[in-house]
Amino acid sequence: MKSHEVKIAKEKLLPEAGIVKAPSPNGEQETMITGCWRVLRPVIDREKCTMCRSCWIFCPDQAIEIAEEKMAVKLKYCKGCGICAEVCPVGAIERVPELDFEDGVVRLEKLF
Amino acid sequence: MAKVQEITVWASGVVQDKEARDVAQCLAAAAAKEGKFVQAFDNYVDLPDRVNVPVRKYARISDSEIEEKYVYENHNPEIVILVEPTLVKGVNVLRGMEGDGCLIVNTGRSPEEILKFIPDKKPLKKIACVDAMKICPKAVIDFSGSEGAVEAAGVGVGIGAVLAGAAAKVSGCVAIDSLMSEVGNPEAAKRGFDEVTIKEL
Repeated sequence: MKSHEVKIAKEKLLPEAGIVKAPSPNGEQETMITGCWRVLRPVIDREKCTMCRSCWIFCPDQAIEIAEEKMAVKLKYCKGCGICAEVCPVGAIERVPELDFEDGVVRLEKLF
Repeated sequence: MAKVQEITVWASGVVQDKEARDVAQCLAAAAAKEGKFVQAFDNYVDLPDRVNVPVRKYARISDSEIEEKYVYENHNPEIVILVEPTLVKGVNVLRGMEGDGCLIVNTGRSPEEILKFIPDKKPLKKIACVDAMKICPKAVIDFSGSEGAVEAAGVGVGIGAVLAGAAAKVSGCVAIDSLMSEVGNPEAAKRGFDEVTIKEL
């Protein structure tokens, strides 16, 4: 190190807002459960799915996860926007009306 | 003070915001025409400018003057109207209902199918389904952001009129004649009144 150089700590070189100090402890936002927004549910055809992970990249709510070596939807947070069905290159994601399913009931007592 | 009849309308934000507001406004306007004391207003807490967020619109009808001017929520609704039927899965829409309540759902499904998703049916007296999108296939989407201050599209010209007509039949809160004189599409309100499927519990 030359004498005229000023020593700056490594993290000071990055803008403060750009630093993620630690991942969220549980990875979920319990105060904003958005599954009740969904009208059409994305259903992934596990036979057609090629694991390209386009849906995982494009999902704005990180509601797509990898479960049992295939892509799966976190129904607690999926708002049913349909972006995953649009970007799927093999058409493996179908949008089905939510009332056709008996499961996936969120039932919030109070919205906010 | 006489009992205030509280009406809560649930809908998806932005896409059904105007229609839900029309249901509350038309029912309140029709009751006002019958000489009752009314209030109709939106819920500001629900972040109404997000697409598909569950939003609430309220109306109150009373024979005597309504004293709760600064209560911005219907805590004990007697009539609950769902513009978006999927909300029976997402939210406890019957929260606070005390008994003898009515639930009106905008769906082509049968009332039995909707009842499967309601665990506590005790406060419910009647459940009714009306396929408003089939009767009047027009849902007005209002992006003006005026929140009802300026109604350029007209009040009660879309599915809101059908649901208000169904609510008039199921609950009897207003007469259909006074409702038809207040909505922009009286035929749709009459068809909603006639074609609603009611199941008594």
